[in-house]
Parts: sequence; C-alpha cells; structure tokens
Amino acid sequence: MLATVLTAQPVPPADKLSAPAIDYGAIMPVLIVLGAACVGVLVEAFLPKHQRWPVQVVLSLATLAGAGIAMAVYLGDESTPKNGVITLAGTLAVDRPALFLWGTLLVLTLGALLLIADRSVEPGGAFVAEAAIRPGTIQDRAQVAGTGMQTEVFPLTLFALGGMMVFTSANDLLTMFIALEVLSLPLYLMCGLARRRRLLSQEAAVKYFLLGAFASAFFLYGLALLYGYAGSVKLADISNAAAGTDRSDALLFGGLGLLVVGLLFKASVGPFHTWTPDVYQGAPTPITAFMAACTKVAAFGGMLRVLQVGFESTSWEWRGVLWGVAIVSMVIGAVLGLTQTDVKRMIAYSSIAHAGFLLIGSIALTDQGLSGTLFYLLTYGFTTLAAFGVISLVRNADGEATHLSQWAGLAKRSPVTAAVFTFILLALAGIPLTSGFVGKFVIFSAALQDGMAPLVVIALIASAVAAFFYLRVIVLMYFSEPAADGPSVTVPGAFTTASITLGVIATLVLGVLPAFALDWAGSGTFAFQ
Amino acid sequence: MVSTLWSNAVALAQQPPSPVQPIQPPSGPSELGSYLPIVILFVLAAAFAIFSVLLGPMVGPQRKNRAKTEAYECGIEPSPQPVIGGGRVPVAYYLTAMLFILFDIEMVFLYPFAVSADALGLFGLVEIFLFIATVGFAYAYVWRRGGLDWN
Amino acid sequence: MSAVLAAAAAEVSTGEAIAFWVLGPVALAGALGMIFARNAVHSALWLVLTMLSLGVMYMVQQAPFLGFVQIIVYTGAVMMLFLFVLMLVGRDSSDSVVEVLRGQRLWATVLGIGIAGLIVGAVSRSLTDVPVENLQQQNAGGANVNNLGKSIFTEYLFPFELTSALLITAAMGAMVLGYLNRHEKGMKRTQKELVEARFRGEYERPSPLPGPGVFATANSVATPALLPDGSVAPESLSRLIDSTASETFSDEIKSVAGTEPGPDAHALTPSTKDTSTTDTKNTEDTEETR
Repeated sequence: MLATVLTAQPVPPADKLSAPAIDYGAIMPVLIVLGAACVGVLVEAFLPKHQRWPVQVVLSLATLAGAGIAMAVYLGDESTPKNGVITLAGTLAVDRPALFLWGTLLVLTLGALLLIADRSVEPGGAFVAEAAIRPGTIQDRAQVAGTGMQTEVFPLTLFALGGMMVFTSANDLLTMFIALEVLSLPLYLMCGLARRRRLLSQEAAVKYFLLGAFASAFFLYGLALLYGYAGSVKLADISNAAAGTDRSDALLFGGLGLLVVGLLFKASVGPFHTWTPDVYQGAPTPITAFMAACTKVAAFGGMLRVLQVGFESTSWEWRGVLWGVAIVSMVIGAVLGLTQTDVKRMIAYSSIAHAGFLLIGSIALTDQGLSGTLFYLLTYGFTTLAAFGVISLVRNADGEATHLSQWAGLAKRSPVTAAVFTFILLALAGIPLTSGFVGKFVIFSAALQDGMAPLVVIALIASAVAAFFYLRVIVLMYFSEPAADGPSVTVPGAFTTASITLGVIATLVLGVLPAFALDWAGSGTFAFQ
Repeated sequence: MVSTLWSNAVALAQQPPSPVQPIQPPSGPSELGSYLPIVILFVLAAAFAIFSVLLGPMVGPQRKNRAKTEAYECGIEPSPQPVIGGGRVPVAYYLTAMLFILFDIEMVFLYPFAVSADALGLFGLVEIFLFIATVGFAYAYVWRRGGLDWN
Repeated sequence: MSAVLAAAAAEVSTGEAIAFWVLGPVALAGALGMIFARNAVHSALWLVLTMLSLGVMYMVQQAPFLGFVQIIVYTGAVMMLFLFVLMLVGRDSSDSVVEVLRGQRLWATVLGIGIAGLIVGAVSRSLTDVPVENLQQQNAGGANVNNLGKSIFTEYLFPFELTSALLITAAMGAMVLGYLNRHEKGMKRTQKELVEARFRGEYERPSPLPGPGVFATANSVATPALLPDGSVAPESLSRLIDSTASETFSDEIKSVAGTEPGPDAHALTPSTKDTSTTDTKNTEDTEETR
C-alpha cells in the first residue's frame, strides 16, 4: 500500500528544499522589535493589572535601545557591505536608506512612546481604562476618574513600528503589503482608545479603518496587476520587465497607479488626505504624534523604494501625474489650513502640505532627491512630534483645549510653552536656523537640479501661504488677551518633557548643524537585486 | 522514522517508472476522480436526510398541539426580540467570530505545510512551529483575559 | 463561434462538463437568491451556496488549493463574519428605500451595465483568443499544493511569519474593543454583594422580580405571571420584551378578571396577537371556547 502511494507521487528526491539564507546581523533590529512585541503580548496575558504599565514601559524602552544598539553594531562592523544586503530569499533589502529610515523610526518612536507612557499630564494617561465600556454609560463616567489604561498600546506600538521598519526595507511588493497591514492595524485600533471625547475617537478609528482598508485594497489590486505584468512581485524583476519589453503597458501603469494610490493614502498626500484631519483630531494625542511622525516616514520610505527601484525606467510616463498630485497636496494643505479653527486639524493640514513637499523630493529620481527626502522625513518627524507634545499640555476641565480661540494669550499664562510652540511653528514654516528650512532647501535644490523648476515655484508659494497660518497662531499667543476661563498649561512630567525636549533640540540641531545627518542620509542608495 | 520513510521513497522513485500509472482517475485529463468518494459521501448524506424527513410524517402519528409545533419541541418558547436595539446581539459575540477566523487562517497555512512537509524537512518544522507559537501568544492573551469564558 | 465552442468542448472531459452544468445553475441560483431574498440572513445563506459552488468549480478547474481555501475561508470564516455583522446590526432591520445619494439609481444602472460589458468582453476574449492550458503536468501528484507550500516556506518565509503579527493584532483588537470582563472589581456584583446592597436599600425591592408565568398552553418567558386573585403581576413583565407590554395582554387580563363573557379554564390562552403565530387548529379551539 505504501509503495503504491509513494509511486503515485512523482516528487523527485532532489526536491528536498533548504531554508533561505538569513543575515541575522542585518535584520536583528526588526527581529528585536517584533520579538519584544510578542513578549509584550505575553506580559499583557500573564501579569496582574497593576504591574503591566511599569513592565511594558521598561520593556518598550529597552526594545528601542536594543534595536538601536543592534543597528549601531551592524553599521560599525567592517564587514558590512556598503551597498546593502538582500536577505531572506530576496524579501528584505537592508541598505543605507533602509538603515537611515530604521534609525529615524526608532528615535521618533522613542519620542512617541514617551508621550504614550506619560501619566502626569492626564491622570492615568491619554488612554481609556476599558475600551469595551460603551461611551456615556454609568461605568464609563466611573472610569474617567480611574487611573487605569489599556496597556495593550505598548505591544501594539511595537508591532506598528516593526511593520514600518519592514515596510521601508521590503524588496518585494508582497512583503510590502503585509508590512503595510502590520503597521496599519495597530494604528486603527489605537486611534479609538482616547480617554476623553471617546465618541470622537471611535469615529476617527472607524473612518481611518474603512478608508485604510479601501486603500489597502487599491494597493493589493495594483500588486496583482503588476504580478500579471512582470510574473514576479520583486521590485527588481518589475523594473527589468519594464525596461525592455513588448508586454501590455495597461497592466504596468494600471498596476503602478493603483499601488501608488495605496501609498499616497498612507502618506496622507492630497487628494487622498480626507481621513487625515478627522483622525488626527480624534485620536489620542500621543498616537497622533506617532502617526504623524512615523507613518509618514514609513510611507515615504516605501514610496521612495518603489519608485526608485521598481519604476525608474518608466519615470517619463508617470512623473507628470505625480507632479499634479504634489501640487494638489500642497494647495489643499496650505489653503484649507488657513480656514481651520482647531490646532490639531491645523497641524493635520500642515502635514498634507508637507506631504506635497516630500512628494517633490520623492519624484526627483536622483541621489540628491533621495537624501533630501530622507533628511526632510527626519526633520519633519521631530518637529511634528514636539508639536503634538505641546498640544497635549494645554488643557481645561474637559481635556485638551484645542480650539484656537482658547490659545489666545497663551504667552501670558506660560511663556515657556508659547516660546517652544512658536519655535516649532517656525520650523514647520521653514524659517532659517530651524531644521524645516534646511529640509526644504535640500529638497527644492534637488528638484531644481532634476528640472522641476515650476514645481519648486509652486512649492515656495504654498510655503508662504502656509507660513501665514503658523504666524497667525503665534500672533494669537503673544498679542491677544487671555480669556478669563481659558485653559491652563499643565506642567509636564519627566516623560513628556523628555519627548518635547528631544523634538525641539533635534529641530534646532538639524537646523544649525545639518551636515552630519545629511552625510548619513546621502551615504548610499537603494540596493537593486 | 521519517528518514526511513524517506529512503523508501527515494528507492522507489529511483526505480524505472512503470508504463502504467497505478492510480489514475478514469475521468481523463483532470484529477476529478479523486474527489469521487467525497461526492458519494455527499450524495449518501443528502439521501439519508431526505429519507428521514420524508419518512417521519409517513409512519408517525400526527396529534398536534401547541407545544408540539414549537421549534425543537422542548424547553421554553423563544422569547420575542428585545425592543432595545431592534433585535441586535451584543458586540461580545463578535469576539467569538473574530477568534474563529484567526484560527481558521492559521489552518489555511497548515494545509500546504502538511502537504509538503516531507520536502521541507526540519527547517519547515521550525518555521511552522514559530508561526504556531506566535499565534499561540494571541491565544494565551485571549485565554488569560477570559475571552474564552462564556458569561 | 460554434467552432470555437466545439474546440473548447473537446478539451473538457465529461466529468468536468457534468460538474459545470450542475454547479453553474446552482451558483447562479444562489446569486439570484441572495439579491431577491427579503430576509438578510437568508440572503447570506444563499451567498454560501454560491461560494460553495464556486469552490467546487475551482477544484474542477485544477486549482484544488484555491477551492479548499474558498470553502474554508469564504464559506467558513467570511460568511460567519457576515452573519455576525447582520446580527449586530439587527436581523430585522431592513434597507431604507430612500435614495440618499442623488442619481444613485441611474449611476448604479450605468456602472452595472458597464461592468457587465467588461465581463462579457473578457470572457468572450478568453474563449476566442486565449489558448486553453491544461495544468495536469504542474499539478501531477498533488503538486499544486506542494508548490504553494514550497513557495510559502522558502521564498516567502518572511511575509508568512509576519502574518502572525497580523493575527496577534487582530486578536488583541477584538479583545480590547469587544470584551468586557464583568467579573472584575467594580463591574458586576457578586451574589453576596448584591444581597447586601438590596437590603441596604440601593434597589427598589429586596427580593428579585417574580419570574414569568409558564402555563401548559404557552411556555414563553413572555407569558406574565398571575397573582392569586387571577390578575397579572405587572412586575413579571419584562420591560425588554415587546409583546409583554401590559396593554397587549388586555384581553387576558379581562378574561382572568372575569369581565369577559363566558370565561372558563381555557381563558388563560394568550391574546389574539399571540395565537396568530400558532397553528390554525389551536385558534379554532379558542374561538369555540369563547
């Protein structure tokens, strides 16, 4: 019987497979982050409630430190190849841009994690104690006074970070798609966990989830079309297939278009930005900081790799479209930002305008374009992190006071907070001596070198318009009388102070001495294999 | 054990192929013949169900009263739908559906592994155990938090 | 066209043809049933039929893995989610027929015809231009699933392992948003705490509410309890259950109180609204006794 069964299976013995080669040194940071997220889940499972918060905070911070050290060891190793390695059967490319983005993500997540862990600004933290309790019930009113929180946010943050790191180094579209989901799902979830204004927060989560699922479907459909075109999901194979071929262009450009829509959605580039203001406003402010800083880094990191590795040879065909998208994004961000009356929404529209600037750098398919975009991501991440850190401090009895009228005369109540926020707004506007200026400068000069002068002119006009609404807030803070029943500025605890300080100092240092970061950003290009 | 099986297979595969394939479905190019037992099983099951349903009313006495016409003819009558919420079930039931789907997806991955386990060897076993263990963390979390209790 | 069909038919074995002509109409019937069923749950069950037929068709088309996954994931998991969503929304809630979007019907018709045209175009092109591929070589000896297994566990090992992160996140999300531990402190009171609270006067009455009256004629929890004098105990009527609102029992109350003409022991039969759900024979009995 056995004999018949075995002869019926014509599997030759030479088919015995071997495991794909794994360069553990290169991917150790990712493994540490994802492994620690799993440990965090076990902590949630087995530790009693009162021990979870301290253990999770220590575990998460140790993870970031460990991943950073692993990356430093790998970079410091003499045997590390300069042009990157491709490992795990070609699914991950650990090259210089990927390592730069990993470093950026780790430091920005450190800042966001400090905001998430803070329990001094809001007693018990910005997160709800029991998200399953329906808003508005008796139990819900009871838990507002409590000091518990859903400590699941820590492993979820680590999962999101792991997904972002994989996303920026994914060498094929399938890995990229799964990484996209790994980074998105925890964010959808965490958006709905705010302690105050829970209905607004849950609405934000539902909007983000539905639109995000839609964008993922776009990405997946594009992936399928490109697989049909090239017969492979690997970026290098797609590029080779597109270079010399008589295959149907409809599949190639249909696939690219759908793929890019998915990416532009994640990066909140207009006109795919509609979720951004609502979600930034509704989500708990630490999560907004994490999303605004890190998701943008991951999304643009992925987009740079897709465009530069997979589609450089066909750039003539698609670049005009992305020109238009960049213009639309800058105009939407700058013009609609003018009409906002809520600080969080205003920063959201500012992020849409910044996404337009970043897109200019991404479609300049030169080494300067790559390094400029990477540098801009680093600077924008720190600045926006600090911005949301400060926003979480201005509070009244209902929680954060985000309406602009409540910020009137803030300088008289708390000169330090007003000064810090002014500095951040100037950086967002791109005033010299801040990192925002250097970032815009390197991106615009790269675009000029690549022959995109009209786009740069439009970008400069958009920057000027956007600068108006940043200045409006500064004028409001310094030259208005504070309202009698206005909000107070909470004195932050160590965690929030550390986070804001990190963002502000990085903004200042990158504005005054940007050379070292620019060197690192320009130290290599994407691996092509 | 596996290695002896494997060497058996190697020895058998190295023999010159017999001119007639021993197991070949009669239905020609497709392998539909291998599904024949399943089809027979389905037909038998359907036939038995129809037979039972038709036979009951024919041979049994029919003395109906109100309690007899109820669903399942036992226990309490299902109560009407609650006014509050228009007949909705609580969201907690959704958890059960979600957990079912998780382990359903896990099973989809186990199926190709099981089929090609022989060729994959030890590293395949390590990979699939890594996967099962990580999904097991989710299971441990749900279990410890009481998600599997019915209350 | 007929020559093409004949050529295509030559490639199709008898078993495949039989399977197609059985499954095709079943799948179509399921799809139509899904659209025309009034009850949302029935609609979902019709869809199960279509999906099952499609799963078997995939197997016939030499894609056994796709067929099994269709059955395991779609008919198993996705349909279960559908049904749960229907029940969360409320299975009695029906569609609003008011057009919320202006010109929705027009656009739906135009786009529907467009989609139909595209599908017909694609299918007719695949029948004429595309040569028929037989996958017997590739699939020999169960190699269809084998090849997939090999790809997943070697070439796509990393994305595969990464999906476990997705599954963990999904489980945590479901727990965080959907699960409330009622046994924790401050959630649900234990029996002892409840009794103490009752006697401290935190509740309206120290004892539980009376249970429903369960009679020989109706054993629903919606049946009200009767007090010794024959009147309905109002506390036994659940506020949650629609049909037990006391006005729907006015007939019953009358009959118990003797204000109705000609009451006897059968006067405990439920009100006319309730009897409408029972069989006709019973209703006739009631009419006679009255």
